[in-house]
Amino acid sequence: MMDAPRPDHQLGDNLVEIRDLSVTFETGRGPVRALRNVNLDVPRGRILGIVGESGSGKSTVIWAMLRLLAENGAVTGGRIDFNGRDLLQLDADALRAFRGAQAGVVFQDPMTSQIPVKSYLQQFLDIAYRQKASRAEKIAHAIAMMRRVGIPDPEQRIAQFPHQFSGGMRQRTGIAMALLMHPDLVIADEPTTALDVTMEAQVIHLLRELQREFQTTMMIVSHNLGLVAELCDEIVVMYAGEVVERGDIQSVFANPSHPYTRALIDCDPARVLERTRILPTIPGELPNLRHPPRACVFVDRCPHAFARCREEKPRLNKADEGHVAACHLLDGVRPVMHAAAPAPAQDEVVPAIAGDVAPLVAVRNLAVSFQVRGPVAALLNPGLKTSIDILVDVSLDLKPGETLGLVGESGSGKTTLGRAMLGLVKAQAGSVTFKGRELIGLGEGELRPLRQNMAMMFQDPIGSLSPRQTVKSLILEPFDVHRPASGNRDALAVRLADMVNLPRDLLARYPHQLSGGQARRVGVARALALEPDLIIADEPTAGLDVSVQGDVLNLMRRLQTEHGLTYLIISHNLPVVRHISDRLAIMYLGRIIEMGDATAIFARPAHPYTRALVDGIPRPDPTQRRRLVSIEGEVPSIARRPQGCEFNARCPHATDLCRAEMPAQQTLGDGRMVRCHYPLID
Amino acid sequence: MSAIPSDSAPARREAEGWIKLRRLLANWQGMTGLVLVLLFFASAIFAPLVATHDPFALDIPARLSGPTLEHWAGTDQLGRDTYSRVIYGGRVALQVAAIGISVSLVFGLLLGMLAGFGPRWLDNFLLLLFDVVRSFPTIVMALAAVALLGPSLNLVLAIVIVTTIPGYARLVRTATLALKNTEFILAERALGVGTARILWRHVTPNVIGPMFILAAMDVPVVVTVEAGLSFLGLGVLPPTASWGSILNEGYLLIRETPWPVVAAGVPLVLTTLGFTFLGEALRDIFDPRLGKGR
Amino acid sequence: MCGGRLAAALTISRTPAPMWSYFVKRLGLSAVIVLCALLTLFLLLHLIPGDPARIALGPRATPEVIARYAEKMRLGEPILTQFWIYVTNALTGDLGADVFSNRPVLTIVLEVLPNTLVLAIVALAWAALIGIPLGCLSAVRPNSWFDRVTGLLSVATIAIPSFLVSIWSLLVFAVMLKWLPVIGAGDPGDYLDQAVHLILPAFAVGLGWVGYLARMVRASMLEVMSENYIRAARAFGLRERTVVFRYALKVAVLPTITLVGIGFSGLLSGAVFAEIVFTRPGAGKLIYDMVVNRNFPVVQGAVLIITALYVLITLAADLLVAWLDPRVRDSL
Repeated sequence: MMDAPRPDHQLGDNLVEIRDLSVTFETGRGPVRALRNVNLDVPRGRILGIVGESGSGKSTVIWAMLRLLAENGAVTGGRIDFNGRDLLQLDADALRAFRGAQAGVVFQDPMTSQIPVKSYLQQFLDIAYRQKASRAEKIAHAIAMMRRVGIPDPEQRIAQFPHQFSGGMRQRTGIAMALLMHPDLVIADEPTTALDVTMEAQVIHLLRELQREFQTTMMIVSHNLGLVAELCDEIVVMYAGEVVERGDIQSVFANPSHPYTRALIDCDPARVLERTRILPTIPGELPNLRHPPRACVFVDRCPHAFARCREEKPRLNKADEGHVAACHLLDGVRPVMHAAAPAPAQDEVVPAIAGDVAPLVAVRNLAVSFQVRGPVAALLNPGLKTSIDILVDVSLDLKPGETLGLVGESGSGKTTLGRAMLGLVKAQAGSVTFKGRELIGLGEGELRPLRQNMAMMFQDPIGSLSPRQTVKSLILEPFDVHRPASGNRDALAVRLADMVNLPRDLLARYPHQLSGGQARRVGVARALALEPDLIIADEPTAGLDVSVQGDVLNLMRRLQTEHGLTYLIISHNLPVVRHISDRLAIMYLGRIIEMGDATAIFARPAHPYTRALVDGIPRPDPTQRRRLVSIEGEVPSIARRPQGCEFNARCPHATDLCRAEMPAQQTLGDGRMVRCHYPLID
Repeated sequence: MSAIPSDSAPARREAEGWIKLRRLLANWQGMTGLVLVLLFFASAIFAPLVATHDPFALDIPARLSGPTLEHWAGTDQLGRDTYSRVIYGGRVALQVAAIGISVSLVFGLLLGMLAGFGPRWLDNFLLLLFDVVRSFPTIVMALAAVALLGPSLNLVLAIVIVTTIPGYARLVRTATLALKNTEFILAERALGVGTARILWRHVTPNVIGPMFILAAMDVPVVVTVEAGLSFLGLGVLPPTASWGSILNEGYLLIRETPWPVVAAGVPLVLTTLGFTFLGEALRDIFDPRLGKGR
Repeated sequence: MCGGRLAAALTISRTPAPMWSYFVKRLGLSAVIVLCALLTLFLLLHLIPGDPARIALGPRATPEVIARYAEKMRLGEPILTQFWIYVTNALTGDLGADVFSNRPVLTIVLEVLPNTLVLAIVALAWAALIGIPLGCLSAVRPNSWFDRVTGLLSVATIAIPSFLVSIWSLLVFAVMLKWLPVIGAGDPGDYLDQAVHLILPAFAVGLGWVGYLARMVRASMLEVMSENYIRAARAFGLRERTVVFRYALKVAVLPTITLVGIGFSGLLSGAVFAEIVFTRPGAGKLIYDMVVNRNFPVVQGAVLIITALYVLITLAADLLVAWLDPRVRDSL
C-alpha cells in the first residue's frame, strides 16, 4: 500500500510545502489574524520542529493542514501542498484518505484524545477500516504495532480501555495509532507536554527510532526547545503568527540569527549549565493579533530594533548556510549580535547560611494518607486498602533565608507536602514546627494568626485568584483578614502593585482579564502582603512561557534579598529550580530520596533516580543529543508500592537487596542525604 | 498615583453588565421572554386595572357565552367573565411562583453550602435526603398529601417548596464542592480566611448566578404544578380563580363551550414559554457552561 | 492541575473494584427511598391531629368500617409497633385492603397498572423515536435552519404542560373533529380499539418528551463533539458517519439514559393527568378517584407501588449506564 522505503533525503524534495498560509479566527471582539503568510517546507524523510511560545500559531499550522481548525477559524489565503497536491482543495473523500492514512497525528494529551468508551482494539480497527485485509490480519497488525511502541503483553492489553492505561502507555499507544497505516507524514502536537520528565525522554527516543525505522517524515510542534533540539533535523521558529527563522537545526542553534530565536534559546533554563541566580527574559508582550503590526512583529521587544524595523516587514534573509531569518539585520550590513537580554549580572553575595542556625521550619517524619474508598466499598472488599499513603516519613529543615527546591514527578507527593506543612492537608503522623512551634494538631483558629508569617503561592496563576474579585481587593485581602484598618487602602494597593512590577491600571481588573505572568505577580503580591518569613511556592512557573518564567523567578529572587524570605519552591521542572535553589530535595512516591546542595546534586547525583531526572532534561543543543534513555518504565502507582526500594523496578543498578529491603536514609561525605543502598557517589 | 482605580472597578463591572443586557435584548428569544415575563408580572400586579369585570360577579343571562365585546373571552356557567378570572388567576400563579421559589432558593443555598462545606457525614446525609425527595413521583405524592389534608393553596406551596429545594441544593452543593477544591479557595484558606468569609465572598458570588438562572427556568414548573393541582380540584378552593381551576371548570363544560379551556391555557403557555426563553437566554449569556443547549 | 492528575492516577491505580459494589450501593439507595416513602405515607397519616382512621377514611365512613380499619392497622398499639407492622406488611406484599369494598389494595392496583404502563411506555417510545434523531441531527449541524426550527419546537413542546396538551387535544380531536374516542381504554379483547384509545393520551404524555429528549441529546452531543477525541477521530480520517454515530452518540447517549430514568417520574405525572382527562382506567385515575372519595388506604398502597416502580426504573437506568460506560464499570 505504501511506497517502498524512500531514498535518502534530496535537497528540494519536499513532502509538504506551505505557501503564504493565512488563518483568521472570528471572535466576539473582532477577527484575530492568527497566521499571516506563513511559508515552510517539510523535506521528505526528515523531522521538522515548529517552535514558539503561546500565541505563536504553531499548532494552528497543523490544524489548518488537517483542515480541523476550530469552527470560528478559516484559512484566508495560501496553499498547503502535500505530495504536490493542495490539501486546501481536497474534497471530503480525498481529505479522509489523507487523514489517518497519509498523515498520522500524535496528540498532546492522551488523556482526552482517546475515546473513553471504546477499547483500543476497536479504536485500531476503526482506523484500519480502509485497509484491505481480514479482521484477523488487522488485529495482528495492531498488536504488532503496540508491541513495537513498547506496550508489554499487547495481546491482552489491546482489549483494554484507555482509562486502564497509564499516561505514558496511552501516549505510546497514541503513537501506534498514528503509525498504524504507515503514513508518509506523522504530525505530533506537543507530544510530551502532558508527560513527566522521565517519560518525555522515552517518548523522544521512541519517536526518533520509529522515524528511522519507517522512514517517515515528521512534523513536531512544541514549545520545548530541548525536545526539538533532541529530535529534529529542521526547525521553524514562529512568533505571533509569522515564521521568524527556519532552517537546519544545527545551523540555527549554532548561529541563531533572529533576535527572538536568540532570546528564546538564552531564556531556556536547561541551556545554562552554570547555576545562575538571575535568568534572562524577553521584556514586553506579544502584539495584539487583532491588529498585527505592519512592520516587524518583534520590533517592540527587540533590543536591536532600528528605524527600518518599524516601517517595513523584513523578508526571510539568508542567515547562514541552510537557514534563513526574517530580520533586517541580515539584509545588507550585518551588525554584531550580542546576547538578547542583558547578561546576567554577577550575583550579589549570598549570605552564607551557617550550619548551626535554628531552622525556620522543621519537618519530622511527616505522613499523609488519603481515604480512597468509602465504608461501603471497604465492607464489601475486605482485602482492599481503604487509604493510600501520599507522604511517608518525610523530614526536612528550612533554614532562614534559604531556598529549598522540592522536585518530583507527578504523584511524588510534593504538592501535598507543601500543603501539609501549612495545615491545608491533614497529616496522620509526624511533626512540623515553625519557629519552634508545633503546627500539627493546631485548629484553624490557632493557625490563623500564624498564617501571616507563612504564605503560599499556588500552581495555577489565574485559577488561584478568586474570579469575582478585582485585583485590588485580592491583594488587599490579607490586610482585611489579619490587619483590618491598616491605613489608606488605595495607597497600600499601589505600593504592593509597584513592589511586584504590576501596572497600576490592572488593579481594577478581574483575574480572567490578566495574562498568566500578570496573574502570577498578583499571587506574589498576595503572598508578600503581610511580609511573611516563609513562602511555599507550588510550581511558580507552571503555565508560563519561557520568556515570562525568568521574569517571575527574578522577581521572587529580588524580593527574597529585599525581605529576607525563606522559600520552599515546589516544581517538576528541575532545570528551573536548580537555578534559584540553594538546596534541592528530590521526591519519589512520597519520600525524599535525595537532599543536599543544589549545585552538587546537579553535577553529581547520588541516587539513580536523581541521575535519571538530570539526564532526562532535553538540552537545547542539537550537538549534544543523548544516545540512551537512562531509565525505563513509569512512576508506579502509589496505591501499589513496590516491595523493597520503591525505585528498584526502574533502576539499572538494582540488586536482590534492593528488591527485598527499603534502603535507610544515609548521609554522604558532602553532607548529602540519600536513600539508596548503592549511592552513585561516596 | 492620581488614577487610583477605586471607583473604576464598579464602573467596569457596570459596563460589562450593560454589554450583557444589550446582548440579551438583541437575542430575539431573550427579548420575547423578557416581554412575556414582564406582561405576566404586570397583569398579575395590576389585575384590578387590567380586568374588565369583578371576577366573582355573576351575569347569569350571559352565561356560557362566547367572546363578545362585553365579555372578551366569554363567560362560564355562572356567567362570570372568563377574561377577568384569567387575569386574577395570574395572581395565584405569581404568588405561588414568587413565594415558592424564593423560599426554595434561600433553603437551597443554605443546605447546599452546608452539604458542600460541612463534614462528610452531613454531606452524605443531606445528599441522601435530596435524592430521596427527588426520587418521589411529585404529583403522586402530592395527591397522597391532599387525600389527607384536603386541598389548599398552602399545601400547594409546601409541595412546590419541598420538591424544588433539592434541585437548588444539589446545584449549590456541586458548585461548592468543586470550588472547595479549586486553588483559589485553597489560596484563601492558606491566607487564613475564615469559612464564613470564604462562603460569603468567594463561594456565593460564584453560585448565585447559576441559581437565579435555574430559578427562572423553574418558574414554569412551579406554575404548572399549581395549575395542575388546581385543575384536579386539589389546589386553590373555589371560588378563587386560578388558571388550573378555570381549566377544570372549562373541562367539565368542554362539550358546551371551548372558550374557558382556551382562555386559561393560553396565559399558562405564554408564561412558561416566557420564563423558559428568558432563562435560556440568560444562561447562554451569563453562564454558557451550564448547558450548551439552546 | 496536579490535583487532577493525582485523582487520575488514583483512578487508574485502583484495583478494578467489582461492579457489584456499585450495584449494592445503588440498591441500598433504592431501598432507602422506598423506606422513606413508607415513612412519609405513615407520618402523613399520624402527624395530623385527630383520629387516624377517621382522617384516612373521610366523613363517609361508617363506625364499623372505621373500627375494622383501626383493628387492621392496630391503631391501639404504640406508634412504633404500628409502623413496624405497616412496613413488614408492605414489604411482604400486603398493602392492606380497601375497607369499603374489602378487596386487597394490591389486587385493585395491579388490575389497572398495566394500562398506565402501556401508556407510559408507548408515550416514551414515540417521543424517543422522534426526539433522539432530531437532537442528533440538530447537533450535527448546529445553528442551521433545521436546528433552529427544532430548537424552537422543542422549547414549545416543553413549555406546554402535558395536562394542557391533554385538554386541548381532547377539545380538538375528540370534541370538535370527533376523530378519536375519549373515554376508557378500549374494549379489553379488541387490540385495535385499545390502540385507538391510546393515541390521544400517548400523544399528550409524550409530546413534551419529544422536545426534552431532542434538547438533551443535542446538548450532550454538542458537548461530546467538542471533545478532543472527536477531533482525534476526524484526524484519523474516520468516516463522518462513524464519528457521529459510533463515537459521539455512544458517549452522548449515556447522560440521556440517566435523565430518562429520573424523568420517568415526570412521565408518570403526565400519565396521571392524561388518565383523568381522558377518563382512562389506570393507576393515576385510581389514585385520583380515591383521593376524591377520601379512601386513603387505597391511595397509600397505590402511591407506594408507583414509587417502587419509579425507583426500579431509575435503578435500571443507572445500572445500564454503568454497564455501558467502561470507566464507570471499572472505577465505581
